Amino acid sequence: MFALQSFGRNIWLSIATIFIIFLAFVSINFLVLINGISQSAIAAVQDKVDISVYIKTDVSESKIMEMKNHLSSMAEIKNIVYKSPELNLKEFQERHASDEKIQETLKELNNNPLGATLIVKAKELTDYPNVLKSLDNPAYSDLIEEKNFEDHSAAIDRINTIADNVKRGCLAVSIMFAIIAILIVFNTVRIAIFTHQNEIAIMKLVGAGNWFVRSPFIIESVLTGVIGCAIALALVYPLVSFVQPQLSSFFGDMNFNLISYFNANLIKIIGFELLGIIVVNIISSSLAIGKYLNV
Amino acid sequence: MIHLLDITKEFPPKTLALQNINLHIEPGEFVSIVGLSGSGKTTIVRLLIAEITSTKGQLVIGGWDITKIKSNQIPCLRRQIGVVFQDFKLIHKKTVFENVAFALQVAGSPTSRIKTIVPQVLDIVDLKDKAYRYPAQLSGGEKQRVAIARALIHRPKVLLADEPTGNLDALNSKGIIDLLLKINEFGTTVVLVTHDKDIVNSLKKRVVTLDGGRISQDQRVGKYLI
Repeated sequence: MFALQSFGRNIWLSIATIFIIFLAFVSINFLVLINGISQSAIAAVQDKVDISVYIKTDVSESKIMEMKNHLSSMAEIKNIVYKSPELNLKEFQERHASDEKIQETLKELNNNPLGATLIVKAKELTDYPNVLKSLDNPAYSDLIEEKNFEDHSAAIDRINTIADNVKRGCLAVSIMFAIIAILIVFNTVRIAIFTHQNEIAIMKLVGAGNWFVRSPFIIESVLTGVIGCAIALALVYPLVSFVQPQLSSFFGDMNFNLISYFNANLIKIIGFELLGIIVVNIISSSLAIGKYLNV
Repeated sequence: MIHLLDITKEFPPKTLALQNINLHIEPGEFVSIVGLSGSGKTTIVRLLIAEITSTKGQLVIGGWDITKIKSNQIPCLRRQIGVVFQDFKLIHKKTVFENVAFALQVAGSPTSRIKTIVPQVLDIVDLKDKAYRYPAQLSGGEKQRVAIARALIHRPKVLLADEPTGNLDALNSKGIIDLLLKINEFGTTVVLVTHDKDIVNSLKKRVVTLDGGRISQDQRVGKYLI
């Protein structure tokens, strides 16, 4: 009750404190979203990495299936897609539908010049070297016309670098706001102590225990922290919904949804942020009380 | 009840506020501690409520040696000693009722108990009709009565009054002293710290005179002669 009274009596000071905490949490939430975006972007690019194994035209389907099954048994393999020679030809024709020379050449050929293809996806990027090594197995190397490893590692590295730099920037801003918030809380409690000096002296005179004296200040600082955090979350969530369509069109077929990321981690985000601000405010206000209250 | 055994208090740098004080106050006594400004009267009060600790000696209140009292025990001590000051020490934004109730709230008393006891205590100090006035609406004498009511709320065995009439006129001063005497009649040990000669001489009670931090006189039925 005393905490609420003090909160109300020093309303402008309370609002200023809440505002600083709000700014700190907006930057922290922005960091969370950047993390989500970069994780999704990386996952999307990772998904495009695969090994295309072009099989010779004279290899029977049973042999190809045997090879496919053997490769599938490897722990590193996520999945293997078999594309028949007919399907490859069809796709080739569709890809080069506007190229007359290729269409004529294909018409002149009696047989399908293309063989089957195995599209091999590994579970992790780091698994591809092992997969490539296994394809060098003499049992299968004779069956293989060519291997094509679409290595997007350069793109992934670049995304990682950009994401890391952005995260570092956001982290620096977040830390800066967090430090300012701690100092503001410290100062707010100090001012509250000065404002209530008379009341505090009387509390101690009539036998108030230490916690009776300390707790209104701690509760007040926790209250300002929780309100600041709640306002930041209440602002960021609709903002994310507003920005989502633009993000979806930007990322195209990457199927990226920031709202889903936010929802999936909502409990964690709210939990950590609330816990963090409560702990920080308790520590900050306890330090201020210990320094200026002599209890 | 109260025993100061060879108490010395030195404030840095080397200011001796009290020197080798030996003072024993029995339960139910009414004792006036008198002396000029700077003689150490308020220092004794501050020692008794553990606001400061002595440099040497032993201090026992109600059988409890508070010489080396721990800070977490001080609230418990202060709930057993009622204190009244010259400047009343009331919270201006609280009513009379709330100011007195505050002393019970800090001890964690339930609201039902507060609602029962506070009016009884206000009745003792003759302020029951002014329970919902604010301090600014009271006279000096009435403010001091509120302070006394708050000091009495825990039914302390000891009531310390440090210059309770310092800001009051003669009529109000008499009223406050009469109230202290009435409280003493109920069995509460009263220690009155004052430099008001007329009050002390009218009481015909024990008078302990301090001079330069030492007890210069201690008379059962004394007078303030300085």
